[in-house]
Amino acid sequence: MELLRPSSLDDLNGGLMIHGGTEVVPLLRDGILKADTLVDIRGIVPRGVKGNRIGVGTTLAELEGSTAIPEALREACRLAASPQLRNMSSIGGNLLQSTRCWYWRLKYPCHLHGGDRCHAREGEHREHAIFANDYCASAHPSDVAAALLALDARLHTTKRELPIADLYRLPDEADRHVTTLEPGEVILELELPAVEASVYLKAMDRQRWAFPQVGVAAARVAGEVRLGLAGVAPIPWLLTGPEALDAATPLPRTAWKVDVARALVRRALDRL
Amino acid sequence: MPELSLTVNEHRYEVEAPIEMSLAHVLREVVGLTGTKIACNEGHCGACTVQVDGMPTLSCITLAHTVSGEITTIEGLRDHPLIDAFVRADAVQCGFCTPGQVVSAAALVAANPSPTIDDIRHTMAGNICRCGTYPRIEEAILHWRD
Ligand SMILES: Cc1cc2nc3c(=O)[nH]c(=O)nc-3n(C[C@H](O)[C@H](O)[C@H](O)COP(=O)(O)OP(=O)(O)OC[C@H]3O[C@@H](n4cnc5c(N)ncnc54)[C@H](O)[C@@H]3O)c2cc1C
Ligand code: SF4
Ligand code: FES
Ligand code: FES
Repeated sequence: MELLRPSSLDDLNGGLMIHGGTEVVPLLRDGILKADTLVDIRGIVPRGVKGNRIGVGTTLAELEGSTAIPEALREACRLAASPQLRNMSSIGGNLLQSTRCWYWRLKYPCHLHGGDRCHAREGEHREHAIFANDYCASAHPSDVAAALLALDARLHTTKRELPIADLYRLPDEADRHVTTLEPGEVILELELPAVEASVYLKAMDRQRWAFPQVGVAAARVAGEVRLGLAGVAPIPWLLTGPEALDAATPLPRTAWKVDVARALVRRALDRL
Repeated sequence: MPELSLTVNEHRYEVEAPIEMSLAHVLREVVGLTGTKIACNEGHCGACTVQVDGMPTLSCITLAHTVSGEITTIEGLRDHPLIDAFVRADAVQCGFCTPGQVVSAAALVAANPSPTIDDIRHTMAGNICRCGTYPRIEEAILHWRD
């Protein structure tokens, strides 16, 4: 394996990009990701907060301590992962993290790995999805993406500018990807609109240092209230309102998440 | 094999290691500093915590070749008052998590010399202790300068 450290975006030419490596390193070790060339992009991806723009090389630890960003994003960063991981994790890498579904991590030949079924639907799925879970029942683990979805953030990449919702897609028989990122496309910056108020609430199996079972971000943006949820669908989930939870399609052992989501949505809207 | 230059506890080491080798592995097996422990080897427990430029970092999921900053391991904290504080509070049972605990705690008190219990719980959350010595670890950090 070789490691490249390009000094400009123009020098990029294939290879597996690595920023903090908190996802890349374990997945390489487990053989889920394979690469002959690793490309350390820390030197070419913007870092830091400038006005309403956030370089995606900014770490979650830096954002957790930033007063220049909306509360929901700050809180999502503060409650994500562990202190060491927040020191290492870039916000860009966070948006692109893979599912924590244990079947997937243990390399079961499931739909998301290109196989012919979803093992979680029939098997253990207490931590899985309550929406859009018929093909792949995984639950998206990013607190940060849920917050950015509620905040209506936009992404700037080397190829385009897009609302964060368009970074994600539900996997299907024809295409198992959960993001729309193209090979070689680099995310550079996040752009936030003017946010009037926002909150992030997170339910975990323990009080600290755990993935979201359900995360709820609420934000008031241009007079409109937006809700972004983590842990409820294979991708970060935009909820049109509290009543949309009536349309959830929980699996036998994920029904409890609907109740938790209902309670968190109510509390988040109260606090807004 | 690719060459690598690391600064650990203010010493410079010129070593060789494959690109895919973790910092924890290089520290223990190549440099020979075995104070840093590997438990889960996947970022969950904090046993492998070292500081990179003062920042607690999980060496088990860091590739050694990607590190350019100064590394501090438990061996570099031999004379830190926290060591004595951990002993006084009897904050060690099996001791496997302890190097990582001390490395995280040293960064905490450097940034915030008088942490509250809540500061300690937030900042130490990434260091798991399977023996459950948390109350004593908190006590050791609260009274680290006594
Ligand atoms: C044990 C553990 C617990 C965690 N808990 C939580 C949690 O509770 N909540 C939460 O939200 N997150 C959690 N995370 C996720 C963590 O925040 C992410 O792993 C981290 O943010 C990834 O950032 P990185 O810089 O390390 O990415 P890397 O591992 O370096 O990269 C991740 C992926 O993104 C790609 N990539 C990185 N940057 C770019 C870019 N700029 N453009 C294009 N592609 C890019 C890489 O190629 C790779 O595919 C946890 C992670 C671990 C390991
Ligand atoms: S939930 Fe998704 S990732 Fe998990 S087994 Fe089913 S298809 Fe695979
Ligand atoms: S050994 Fe590194 S986090 Fe557990
Ligand atoms: S003292 Fe045994 S794991 Fe902490």
